Amino acid sequence: MAVIGVGRFIQKRQDFEDSIARSYQVEMTARVRIAQGFGGAGARRVVENQSEHRQELRDQISSDTRDTAILVAAGLIAGLTGALLLFSGLIASLRRPLEALVDAAGRLASGDLSARVEVGGLSETATLGAAFNEMADQLQAEASQREQLDRLKDEFVLTASHELRSPLTSVQGFAELLMLERDTLTPKQVETVEIILDNCRHLVRLLNDLLDLARSDAGRLAIRMRPTELAPLVDEVVRTMRAQTAAADQTLEEDLEAGIPTVSVEPDRIRQILVNLITNAHEYSPEGASIWVRSRVVGDEVEISVTDDGPGIPENQLDHIFERFVRGDAGLTQRVGGTGLGLAISKSLVELHGGTIEADSTPGEGSTFRFRLPLRPLAESAQPSPATVDSSP
Amino acid sequence: MTMVLVADDSETILLLMRTRLELAGYEVTTASDGQEVVDRVAEREPDLLLLDAMMPRKSGIDALRELRAGGCEVPALIVSAHQNPNDADAPTDLEIDGFVTKPIDFDHLLSSVADLTAS
Repeated sequence: MAVIGVGRFIQKRQDFEDSIARSYQVEMTARVRIAQGFGGAGARRVVENQSEHRQELRDQISSDTRDTAILVAAGLIAGLTGALLLFSGLIASLRRPLEALVDAAGRLASGDLSARVEVGGLSETATLGAAFNEMADQLQAEASQREQLDRLKDEFVLTASHELRSPLTSVQGFAELLMLERDTLTPKQVETVEIILDNCRHLVRLLNDLLDLARSDAGRLAIRMRPTELAPLVDEVVRTMRAQTAAADQTLEEDLEAGIPTVSVEPDRIRQILVNLITNAHEYSPEGASIWVRSRVVGDEVEISVTDDGPGIPENQLDHIFERFVRGDAGLTQRVGGTGLGLAISKSLVELHGGTIEADSTPGEGSTFRFRLPLRPLAESAQPSPATVDSSP
Repeated sequence: MTMVLVADDSETILLLMRTRLELAGYEVTTASDGQEVVDRVAEREPDLLLLDAMMPRKSGIDALRELRAGGCEVPALIVSAHQNPNDADAPTDLEIDGFVTKPIDFDHLLSSVADLTAS
């Protein structure tokens, strides 16, 4: 449109210039005749007419120029708009698949391994979509394989620790039987049987701990909470543990705040956590060390802590202290007989109660392990039910 | 003499239990599966049952259920390889007088046996 308009305008402009030239020529001829004295009124009229005629031509061309300028401007605007529309269409056809990809990647990252994108659109985005889907397929396959392996591992540990109990019962039982007749044994034989029994007990602890962890991993470590007075429970554990700490000339003191409200816990599990923490303090501290067990209310939680003035834990070990089979440096003491699983289990148990556990330590001065339990009764949802855990992806 | 029926599918465990119980002054009869338990109870009329929870063919639990259904009121302890027997195989509909976990704490077991056979 604009091109045709401009072409026509150029033609008109050419005609205009020709007409103007002709007009001057006619006027000049008339003026020459007037100058030569031939021109009368007719020649003068010609001069006037030609002047008017040129004015008309000029008005005409300036109007045409304006129209053409408007046409050109309109053409430019239309062209730009068209280009913009075309471009935004292109952007949109890129954007939609990209947005779908971003959305799917987000879902994939948050654990929804079934996230896929529709493959289509421009060839570049289609290729990207297909690559994304392929990656998601692989991730999903690997995850389901890993899940299966995890399940097998859990089942294996559960079965193995169960099956190992019968032979262990025999070994321990017959060693105990021998000890019933220790009067007839030589001191060397008594020592031998004691070593067998020590190792049996260690194996039992290991089996119990492994079983707890396997159950915890499989979401089958259920706790049965009931209203419990913590002070008598802590007191009972401390009294029981004094036999062991006294044997190493260690003092085991308790400092229980008065008026701690009843909490909703499984008493056996809290006992287990406390025994683990006190045992660690005892085993990793030298003879003559001091151990304190404290209990107090902090906000809407009750805190139980075990502090020792033993060698402490270096910072690089402290970061991993609640991981499985991580043990502190036992260089100072030969008493360490733990399984390396106690703190990992304690952490699982505290968390099952809706609580938290932490450790801090100053090397050379001692360590404190403290766990906090909520004072409010826990909602039913805090207790994992095997059915929901087993069916989760 | 007080008679205890011990049931376990392991000969070694049976020997261990028999030795410890006889040393403590009990008469012992044994069974190696649930069916033998049912038969032995009828033959020997024991004063206490000490049954392994898991045995081939018929478990200690199933044998006890059968005995209870037949009106047998002999006290029974269930021996379980589970660390926390309440978790696994504790049927709530069955009258059980106690659980014993493996490895067996014999001091604890013998005091339970004494309590249950005292009356």
